[in-house]
Amino acid sequence: MTNEIKPINMPKWGMEMSEGDINAWYFAVGDQVNAGDDLVDIETSKIINTVTATDSGILRAILGATGETHAVGALLGVIASAETSDADIQAFINSNSSAAAGPEAVTEAAAPVSAAVETAPAPAPATIPQAASGLSKLAEGEDDSLVAASPVARRLAAEYGVNLNNITGTGRHDRVSKWDLEAAVVAAGGQLIGNNRSASSTVHYGDDSNVKATPVARRIATQLGINLLECRVSGDRGRVCKADVEAVAALKNKIPAQTDSNTTVSSNTVASQPISGMRKTIAARLQASKQTAPHFRVHIDAEIDALLAVRKQINSSNTDAKVSVNDFIVKACASALIKVPALNVQFDGEQLSYFSNADISVAVAIDDGLITPIVSDANHKGLVEISNTTRDLATRAKLGRLKPEEFQGGSFCISNLGMYGIKQFDAIINPPQGAILAVGAGEQRPVVKDGELAVATVMSLTLSSDHRIIDGAVAAQFMSVLKGYLEQPATMLG
Amino acid sequence: MTTQQFDLMVVGGGPGGYVAAIRAAQLGFKTALVEKQHLGGVCLNWGCIPTKALLRGADIAHTLKEAEHFGFTVDNLSFDIKKLVQHSRSVASKLTQGVAYLMQKNGITVIDGTASLADKCLLDVEQDGKVTQYKATHIILATGARARNLPSIEIDGDRVWGAREAMTPTALPSKLLVIGAGAIGVEFASLYNDLGSDVTLVEAEQRITPAEDADISALAEKAFVQRGIKILTNSIVQSLDSSGADTVALISGPNGEQHLEFDQVILAVGITGNIENLGLESLKVETEKGFLQADGFGKTNLAGLYAIGDVAGPPWLAHKASHEAVICVEKIAGVDAVKPLNKDQVPGCTYCRPQIASVGLTEAQAKAAGHSIRIGRFNLNANGKALAINEAEGLVKTVFDEQSGELLGAHMIGPEVTEQIQGFGIAQQLEATEYELAQSIFAHPTVSESMHESVLDSLGIALHK
Repeated sequence: MTNEIKPINMPKWGMEMSEGDINAWYFAVGDQVNAGDDLVDIETSKIINTVTATDSGILRAILGATGETHAVGALLGVIASAETSDADIQAFINSNSSAAAGPEAVTEAAAPVSAAVETAPAPAPATIPQAASGLSKLAEGEDDSLVAASPVARRLAAEYGVNLNNITGTGRHDRVSKWDLEAAVVAAGGQLIGNNRSASSTVHYGDDSNVKATPVARRIATQLGINLLECRVSGDRGRVCKADVEAVAALKNKIPAQTDSNTTVSSNTVASQPISGMRKTIAARLQASKQTAPHFRVHIDAEIDALLAVRKQINSSNTDAKVSVNDFIVKACASALIKVPALNVQFDGEQLSYFSNADISVAVAIDDGLITPIVSDANHKGLVEISNTTRDLATRAKLGRLKPEEFQGGSFCISNLGMYGIKQFDAIINPPQGAILAVGAGEQRPVVKDGELAVATVMSLTLSSDHRIIDGAVAAQFMSVLKGYLEQPATMLG
Repeated sequence: MTTQQFDLMVVGGGPGGYVAAIRAAQLGFKTALVEKQHLGGVCLNWGCIPTKALLRGADIAHTLKEAEHFGFTVDNLSFDIKKLVQHSRSVASKLTQGVAYLMQKNGITVIDGTASLADKCLLDVEQDGKVTQYKATHIILATGARARNLPSIEIDGDRVWGAREAMTPTALPSKLLVIGAGAIGVEFASLYNDLGSDVTLVEAEQRITPAEDADISALAEKAFVQRGIKILTNSIVQSLDSSGADTVALISGPNGEQHLEFDQVILAVGITGNIENLGLESLKVETEKGFLQADGFGKTNLAGLYAIGDVAGPPWLAHKASHEAVICVEKIAGVDAVKPLNKDQVPGCTYCRPQIASVGLTEAQAKAAGHSIRIGRFNLNANGKALAINEAEGLVKTVFDEQSGELLGAHMIGPEVTEQIQGFGIAQQLEATEYELAQSIFAHPTVSESMHESVLDSLGIALHK
């Protein structure tokens, strides 16, 4: 086996890693490498870590040059003995470098990888990189979520990319223990994950069809013939717990397994940026908005005495409601946007998108900035629901605990500075939205009614619109409808 | 002056309230805590901690009594109960200062005064006749509870003590009547018996510690009787006559009525929530039988109002209050995967001698809930360590669901079992089955080996039985 050729692959550190940047190689082509040596530093969006050599030999080829980005599983280099011919190295590279499908070790008489991309009969998800060592044999097989395994063994199996169907369990009820798993990994020529976890290139993370579950949940599931993939994951550390299995059992009807475990994948860089980053984002976005969107403003006053009376009624008759004036404005805007859909839009400079529901962003001041959580489907929500949703969103906005989808998007924005006693102001449109409403304080003002002087609680509202897509008449129409809803709140509560 | 505003305000500085404030501050809430008397609440000042300080004295008394068994001759013994009380009070005050430090460290505004709700999200705090109003998006009530009186018998602080008076005695009662054999009554009965009082314990239910598994109660009763505590179960104290030198209690029981004389009475018949003068009625906040009604995360029916700890109902335990505090605040903050309180996973500890500790369902409860169960039992008289320390009176009882292997309940009585129950608690939380527990290696020689044996016994393979 002196001419065995060993690949160096892009590792997968964590579920979210799909690619990595080559930061630095510790060796040049032709250098002698010993097992355990640091080989190459890889940078992901989260960490920089080092891949160590699992085999000794000469570094014969480097395919991932410093500065390049490669997909998980991609062939980055080749280690082989000095005797191995260049032609063999090249053949190995040719059969292994076909991108993300992942290389197979040449010693395995497996189907060519390039073909596998198309035929792909594997039941496992396509993103899994197959291990290049003997471990790849252990990776194959049917869905192993029904295999009895200890929680630790199951988690380790996911880290090694091992399918539990290939492990003989020696525990009670033939349950796979950590010991069984590690023995199988060693027998297959794999290297045990030591303390320096993630650093070895033979460690291929992957099989996310592995479901973590508590022992009780697993046993109940086995008894009831329930696939753990069907279960909600509400246990600690992402484990399926007893209640999850029972919920499925109660349903009886097995819904096809659909474990969308990455529902909250953050594709969003805004949320993870430090405060200064948020400020930078605000600066860039508002400057772009002001420069690219020709703002024009329309202004209207609304008398809100009737609204205040309704608010008082709702709050005193309903213990679980603390409806604010702003909640009424959200509801009124939602109703008005449905009535004047030309304002319920997003515009990216090319494409104009209309929305059937009103997703209303509400500006919330937070430490060192502001954020606009979204009351989605506000047109379908009642006042109390809007109120409770807004309170929850504002609470979490201040704590920095909003999910990206809770503040990204929206078809209209409301900025209310009334609580500071501001009478009236103009706001800058929150792109790609088409308009924003600036709300001032409700205050008692003299008004003329039927030629007589009277006192009413009046609120000044100013709409800023993007004139590229919204015309003056449309903005005026919206404001007039909005005023109608605010002055006769019963009309929007129907 | 504009109203001061907080994201979250907590009313009550006990183990529910102060923990809620700390967790809230950790999560970034602008937080305030209102306390009318002592930070630390009943637990630190008048409950868990000072009683444990006293019970340490009881342990020493017991040790001295059995010193001869180990070859020591102890004479010229004297005991000054004032010193023991002094120790207890100094521990309490130390911990109260510790809580004040934690508040300061976490940037929590501590407001001295008595709070009441003025409206939704609006709190009036009165101090020295001056009322200040505060606004808070979220208000957590953690006002605790206090000892309950009986219709015919009230705590007067003189002849009839509540827990508070019972932990600050100036003299040792010679003949003591303890009414109520729940955790508090049993602890005081055990304490004063060890210190030398002649104790009679009266319980209306058919056994002492009625909330515990029947096997545990039976063993506790046996141990108490051996120690010379008189136990009257199925019995009710009808009236107390304190007009004479002694207090005469009229006690009715299975054998009719009897008059018994005591120089001191402790009333420990349960507790009632501190729900008065909080402005709850006018805001229509739901209460039931003296306690606030809240969901699994402490949310009440009033917008922005939450209730945790004793005032939110049983079990009335400090660690339950602290746990509720954390889940309530985390739920408000939208922390992922917060789970509502599972009352079957709240351990209960009674610090009498021998100690009692349990978690989950009793055998009777498990059966009533329809489980087919597997029971494990192990007596401490087969445990080497328990024999070595001459405390071999005790039992570890485990209740498993036969099908799933879930640990439904664990019930222990014996030395330091209150320190051991967590082992079962962790197993329960991790949803371990009897198999994982059986596979675990318990150190020898320990009292806790009996936990292992009890689990093995449930599988019919106990090694030392």
